[in-house]
Amino acid sequence: MASYKARLREFEALIAKDEIDLQKLKYICFNGIPDEAVNRALCWRLMLNYLPPVKKSWSELLTRKRELYKQFIREMIVSPGEVVEGDGERVDVTFADHPLNFNPESNWGTFFKDNEVLLQIDKDVRRLCPDISFFQQPTQYPCEEIVNSGGSKRLHRRVHHTFLKSANVERKGLGITRIALSVRKAPEDYAPLPEGAEAHWEVVERILFLYAKLNPGQGYVQGMNEIIGVIYHVFASDPDPEWRAFAEPDTFFAFTNLMGEIRDFFIKSLDEADTGINKLMNTLSNELRAADYDVYLCLQQQELRPQYYSFRWLTLLLSQEFPLPDLLRIWDSLFADSRRFSFLIYVCTAMIMHLRDRILENDFPSNVKLLQNFPPIDVRILITKASELAMRKKMYS
Amino acid sequence: MAKKTYDLLFKLLLIGDSGVGKTCVLFRFSDDAFTTTFISTIGIDFKIKTVELRGKKIKLQIWDTAGQERFHTITTSYYRGAMGILLVYDITQEKSFENIVKWLRNIDEHANEDVEKMILGNKCDMEDKRAVSRERGEGIAREHGIRFHETSAKANINIEKAFLELAEAILDKTSGRDPLESVDRGVTIDRRNDRGQNRCC
Repeated sequence: MASYKARLREFEALIAKDEIDLQKLKYICFNGIPDEAVNRALCWRLMLNYLPPVKKSWSELLTRKRELYKQFIREMIVSPGEVVEGDGERVDVTFADHPLNFNPESNWGTFFKDNEVLLQIDKDVRRLCPDISFFQQPTQYPCEEIVNSGGSKRLHRRVHHTFLKSANVERKGLGITRIALSVRKAPEDYAPLPEGAEAHWEVVERILFLYAKLNPGQGYVQGMNEIIGVIYHVFASDPDPEWRAFAEPDTFFAFTNLMGEIRDFFIKSLDEADTGINKLMNTLSNELRAADYDVYLCLQQQELRPQYYSFRWLTLLLSQEFPLPDLLRIWDSLFADSRRFSFLIYVCTAMIMHLRDRILENDFPSNVKLLQNFPPIDVRILITKASELAMRKKMYS
Repeated sequence: MAKKTYDLLFKLLLIGDSGVGKTCVLFRFSDDAFTTTFISTIGIDFKIKTVELRGKKIKLQIWDTAGQERFHTITTSYYRGAMGILLVYDITQEKSFENIVKWLRNIDEHANEDVEKMILGNKCDMEDKRAVSRERGEGIAREHGIRFHETSAKANINIEKAFLELAEAILDKTSGRDPLESVDRGVTIDRRNDRGQNRCC
């Protein structure tokens, strides 16, 4: 207990400085950021290089970035492609844009293409962390321009289909005509909230949409929702309202920085590149071979390929494998890694080794199931084991 | 090694656009339950179910794939080993139906030539939101000589029927041959029973 309190004091002292020692911060964050007293959201902002170490510069930077984000919303969501009209002069409409315009530069063309991306995002944010209710709850800080637009500016409205009401008409001879309007509606958990309010999933939808618009080479890839969901959850649950109020823009920029490092995992054409996902899966495979040859051999003989489980583990930084509190603890260490994301490989190796006895005993299908549904575990054990592996590697290389 | 508790092993694959309900269809079949709380499938997922057909215990090894384009390289590598493929679309999403043609082309490119196929129009409980008529579904299936069912994982309509029918079709192809032969992985079914015959007439 004494050491825990000492750790808290260490954190507080470090954060209180005018210039935060990032190396030192990473060093202590590696062992987990305590949930009380110290602010995980703040540490993540620093470790993801959104906030610079010098505190004096924070206020100017935050104001600038948050204003920029507001501008993104205005330009890309609230009034995309709107042109300010001249001073009452007649405008030549010969070349005016219209929905059937084939010109690739047409605003309408962009609008329709955007909606394809949006449809995918919309599906995914509505299945974000279904085991917790957080994302279905209203945010305290909705985007006013959007939630008070009579629904017209809401992104999901663009991809929400409207249906003509149909009715079954039954008529017997000249007798009574029976019209049965079938209205069956299932209760929907991720339902949009009424005018003036919006749920957290709607906020995440907006961030992802803007990210996809601003990074057209990459766009939106499934799985990004899982990663951004975790960051947003941490930022939007900040106990300090001054920070919490800006969870949305800050998540956008922190996520953008993080994607800068792991973006290649999401790009199909880079699968075979040195920075791509295949290479990373190979690295894991080699690490396992070095650390536990028996297990490696067993999986090899069963032809249980790493991509059956580790593709998801690695691209999503384990976000689908653990309950949220455990995941936050793991991410503390992953972000604190000075050679990002090599520690991730050790965590994954430790995960497989933790199941060693069962893997050696099991047949192929049981092993796939086991690895795809990782059993509950004390994450501290996992991190300790992973650190040992990392240390050992350091010693021998 | 434990003794084999089944006579035959069939490998099946579920493909189709993102969000059409592939995971729910599989969950209904394997666990006889429905939940809306599924996260999106990244890469590939996996379930096992043993069924009995004509006195034979058949172990179905079913792979559930991610729908989005990004995952195609990883998911198409599973096509080759599959003996049956279920192509799923969502009757409330026109686009997912239009893409069936694309998925069929994918199968032609990557799967065994004689793989058994079946098209499923899922979410047929949502009649009030229907965008693709049953006739259009049947039409495209007929055109390609493939079996077809409208299903609902939620209301448990036709799910078991679809899987069993597909398994039975595979069984028809393999019968007459040494059953043990197809137990092990990497089965390629005899080309002589090729669908190609059906196609040209």
